[in-house]
Amino acid sequence: MNLAEGVQIVSFGILAAMMLGAAIGVVLLENIVYSAFLLGGVFISIAGIYLLLNADFVAAAQVLIYVGAVNVLILFAIMLVNKRQDFQPLRRGWIRKAATAVVCAGIFALLSTMIVSTPWAISTATPAGDASVVVIGLHFFSDFLLPFELASVLLLMALIGAVVLARREFLPDDEADRAQVEALRLPERPRELVPSGRDETVN
Amino acid sequence: MNPGIDLQGSFIESLKSFGLPAGAAKLLWMPFPMLVILVVAVLSVFALVWLERKISAAAQQRIGPEFIGPLGILAPLADGLKLAFKEDVVPAKSDPLLFTLGPAIVVIPVFLSYLIVPFGQNMVITDVGMGIFLWIALSSVTPIGLLMSGYSSNNKYSLLGGLRAAAQSISYELPLALSVLAVVLMSNSLSTVDIVNQQTGYGILGWNIWRQPVGFLIFWIAALAECERIPFDLPEAEEELVAGYQTEYSGMKFALFYIASYVNLTLSALLFAVLYLGGWEFFVPIGTIAGFFNISETAPWLQVVAAVLGISMTLLKAYFLVFIAILMRWTVPRVRIDQLLDLGWKFLLPVSLVNLLITAGLKIAFPVAFGS
Amino acid sequence: MLKFLKQVGDYTKEAIQAGKYIGQGLSVTFDHMRRRPVTVQYPYEKLILSERFRGRIHFEFDKCIACEVCVRVCPINLPVVDWEFNKESKKKQLNHYSIDFGVCIFCGNCVEFCPTNCLSMTEEYELSTYDRHELNYDSVALGRLPYKVTDDPMVTPLRQLAYLPKGVLDPHGLPAGSKRAGLRPEEIVEQAEKES
Repeated sequence: MNLAEGVQIVSFGILAAMMLGAAIGVVLLENIVYSAFLLGGVFISIAGIYLLLNADFVAAAQVLIYVGAVNVLILFAIMLVNKRQDFQPLRRGWIRKAATAVVCAGIFALLSTMIVSTPWAISTATPAGDASVVVIGLHFFSDFLLPFELASVLLLMALIGAVVLARREFLPDDEADRAQVEALRLPERPRELVPSGRDETVN
Repeated sequence: MNPGIDLQGSFIESLKSFGLPAGAAKLLWMPFPMLVILVVAVLSVFALVWLERKISAAAQQRIGPEFIGPLGILAPLADGLKLAFKEDVVPAKSDPLLFTLGPAIVVIPVFLSYLIVPFGQNMVITDVGMGIFLWIALSSVTPIGLLMSGYSSNNKYSLLGGLRAAAQSISYELPLALSVLAVVLMSNSLSTVDIVNQQTGYGILGWNIWRQPVGFLIFWIAALAECERIPFDLPEAEEELVAGYQTEYSGMKFALFYIASYVNLTLSALLFAVLYLGGWEFFVPIGTIAGFFNISETAPWLQVVAAVLGISMTLLKAYFLVFIAILMRWTVPRVRIDQLLDLGWKFLLPVSLVNLLITAGLKIAFPVAFGS
Repeated sequence: MLKFLKQVGDYTKEAIQAGKYIGQGLSVTFDHMRRRPVTVQYPYEKLILSERFRGRIHFEFDKCIACEVCVRVCPINLPVVDWEFNKESKKKQLNHYSIDFGVCIFCGNCVEFCPTNCLSMTEEYELSTYDRHELNYDSVALGRLPYKVTDDPMVTPLRQLAYLPKGVLDPHGLPAGSKRAGLRPEEIVEQAEKES
């Protein structure tokens, strides 16, 4: 084992530990903001593993899209939502929990069978390396054209949907009135008016 | 193409001649350029702070720092020392872990991006294949640090500043990336070295600034917004938000933000020089000058001269852009947050898309001028 | 379609105009770079203040008749006049007089209205202290005269804008004997005498 391989194994160990720890943290931590930040950690570790697999373009794309966009949007959503609600215990909570457990177990079984059934033979083809961008581009426009175009259509639909949602200018009259009344009242404690100067007699 | 000076090769060769194995020699070499770049990047902060203060003073008919060292060049050092000795306050009811982590996450990607800044044919830490894309990816990590520090400060101004910074960052990343993409389209490569090489040969006439007149404007506006420089410095708008996400920070943590913002400005200016101003190229190609004086291009002293010229040209171009950024600071007023997002999404994004489209069309129509 | 094209045209026109204005602004700031700094290096250089400068108030104890006009005209009734009636001379006798310069707004009304001219404005403006109560000047402190800037060997006196020759904005390196813009008081008097 030469130096490069040692470095690779050590960094794989570190990245895997980071990824698993962060992923468990995302699920188990009470504080949702911590979970969101740890999700960023998971994405970064995945990007690191992509780098170890010689897929530097995918790694950079992972950082750009998942860390830079998705995770930031999640954080945005968390920080902009300001809704407090009392926790009410559900009456038949165990049904939900059982359903979740079944789904999780199913996914786990699916993934395990996939891992077991994959041959994991190391490909003999030379890694694309710096030319990976070209290879990816060629694949996108030849044998993966349909998924690529479908994904872009999906994104376009999402984009148009976002525009439609954001540009909703016409509100029904009564609803608009109600919204205005709600918006104008600031959520603050009712205060006693402090009398000042001549107005004392009025009070 | 003249390969220019190869420091790495000669370093490893000289160590090999002392009897070291090639692998060990390379291991010895590896930390060297990183250290040099790190030190240079930190020193550039001092230079930039001094320039900012002096140019601001000149624009306002003041003198600026004068007594701390000759022409006040030690003033930034004094600032730094003061910050280093300042008490590190963690506000009450804040989140100490995230509060400490925030500035680090802001600084690290900025310094990592220096990996791809070339100062010469072989004067780059790594000529990564996806070069400029790495910078875009790394700069998208910064808003997480900003959100983190904004959230953990337990201060509404910090939170607002953090949210504004993140919103600004993600909305100006798109025009930035699209305008870079147009350049990449012309050079057929994401590597910064290739992008510069594609501009060489015709001196100042070959620079991308002539081929991308719209792209370079968009890039510069978006880069200013990414660096949170004045027309777009809403996240730290002093008059409204105290100092945005930096409000609660003091001591070295504040210094980290400070360093990050200035290093980021230098980085943007350097990359602007690389993308649009021909990187290390002189105004006239060196080969032509050498040919004029009948000097062989491979003469060792010429290579040293070319390397020095390359570094100084890159820095000169970068600092010219820094100068414009500082001048901009005292010229334009701050935009409002809605104007900022309007400009980003409704103006720069469509224009940069059209620019990309036109570049692609021109590339097909005139492959000679727009890369083949 | 035409309308849309017109909209696009207008938009581009506006964008170009905005760019032009930013360029104009940049040229203005750039032009400032070549102008000389007007900085006065304060502790080493000080301005010679105009004769109308309203600085710390000077008070002459012996001239005061304790009429309290200064208190009445003061917007905040600031001067404290402590007097008692002297039965023998049947005159008010002043014991203490004080003005708190931490509160004074230097409007100069007291100086304007003082019937015996015992109050006057000086050119002292360096009123910083470590405790605001130290700014409460009593009659002794009020009687002190400030040190003249032109007499101070540590200080390079610089002319204020009013004393500079016409068209000169920078007080540094002014040749000796250069005259200020306009006529000096004695010249006005001379002219008036000549005319009459």
